[in-house]
Amino acid sequence: MTEVIVKTHTEFVLPPSVATKLDVSHLVAELEKVDSTLTSAAVHAEKGGPEVAAPILSQQLTDFLVENDLLLEKGQERTRLVKELRLLKDAVPIIHMTFAVPADPESLQQLVQWIRTSLDPRAVIAVGLQPGLIAGVYVRTPNHVHDLSLRRMLRAGRGKLIEELGALRGK
Amino acid sequence: MGLTSVGLFQHKQSDSKSRSPIVEVFESEKNFFDEAFREEIKEHARSYFDEIIKQNVVLFKQDLDAAVVDISAELRTQTAGRLDDAIAKVNSELKEHATKQLDERFVAYGKEMKDAQDATLVALNNSAKTLEDQYQEFGTTVQKSIANQNVMIHGVFEENMTRMTSMKDEQASALQTIKDSAKALEEQYKQLGETLQKNVNDQQEMILATFQDNMAQVVEHYLLGALGDQYDLKAQLPSIIKQMEENKDAMMDDMKL
Repeated sequence: MTEVIVKTHTEFVLPPSVATKLDVSHLVAELEKVDSTLTSAAVHAEKGGPEVAAPILSQQLTDFLVENDLLLEKGQERTRLVKELRLLKDAVPIIHMTFAVPADPESLQQLVQWIRTSLDPRAVIAVGLQPGLIAGVYVRTPNHVHDLSLRRMLRAGRGKLIEELGALRGK
Repeated sequence: MGLTSVGLFQHKQSDSKSRSPIVEVFESEKNFFDEAFREEIKEHARSYFDEIIKQNVVLFKQDLDAAVVDISAELRTQTAGRLDDAIAKVNSELKEHATKQLDERFVAYGKEMKDAQDATLVALNNSAKTLEDQYQEFGTTVQKSIANQNVMIHGVFEENMTRMTSMKDEQASALQTIKDSAKALEEQYKQLGETLQKNVNDQQEMILATFQDNMAQVVEHYLLGALGDQYDLKAQLPSIIKQMEENKDAMMDDMKL
């Protein structure tokens, strides 16, 4: 019996398309479903049953497999991969980012690329929405918050605004 | 009649000694008129008698019909005459009675009308006399009233003259009071205006201070309304990355903890 060689979850590289914690959860669920389908197809093939069509993979799972040079041909490899992905889902660092407007996937990919380049290569984003921020972002790391919103900037400049209004009155 | 005579002479057949020529004739004829001949004569007489009876019946009937017609005509004439007489008599009596009744009624009505006219005339005379008396009384009263009114008007005029004189004095006094009040009021108004101006200035200062305090919130709300739907994440991304870059060290330190 040959030993299956699979990367551990600490060695995985996440593609930009897998940007949020929700993407990682979808990745695990999809991989479990693909594993089940392929295992069932292998059993049917051994028993001479009808041929089962190969599952269609999502872009995120395809990117993940390509990025990490993985294959899904062997059942043991798939099982191990599912296990490691579950560990990854629980271990990835999460940065909570709250925006004033709904976040589009392209912008999220750019942001996660910067985060993985600058902060942590395995980090993912948990996205929130708060229109009261007006613009900008409200970032929460594990132990700190960073209010980078326009609302905070306006409140910081309120004294200056009052001074300007006083100046307009001639005082 | 001849037969009867024959019968009458049948009782003298036994007296032959005193037989006359006539008796002899009869006796000769007695032989001639036998039983058959007698029966024939009886039958002939009977038929003749019946004929006579029938003729008499016809004549009697005709006489009776004529008598009935005459009696009917006579009776009708008599009845009509009597009825006409009775009707004429009744009409005459009725007319006489009605004329009498009407005359009596006319007399009664005339008397009553005359009595009523007399009573009305008396009442009119009384009313005219009463009216004349009242008119005279009213004229007297009016004259008295006019005299009283003249006296009263004269008194009122005198009284009004007195009042007007006193009223002029009071008006002069009131005018002086009003002038004094107006002067005092003008001073109070001047003081009130100064106080009001001061309060207005204070309120204005307070409102402006409140406005300045709220202006920042107004600007925030305005920006929120103006940028909320138009400033998408792609447009904000360079600014966000720039700010994150500025906070990169702090974030990295926190991630390593």
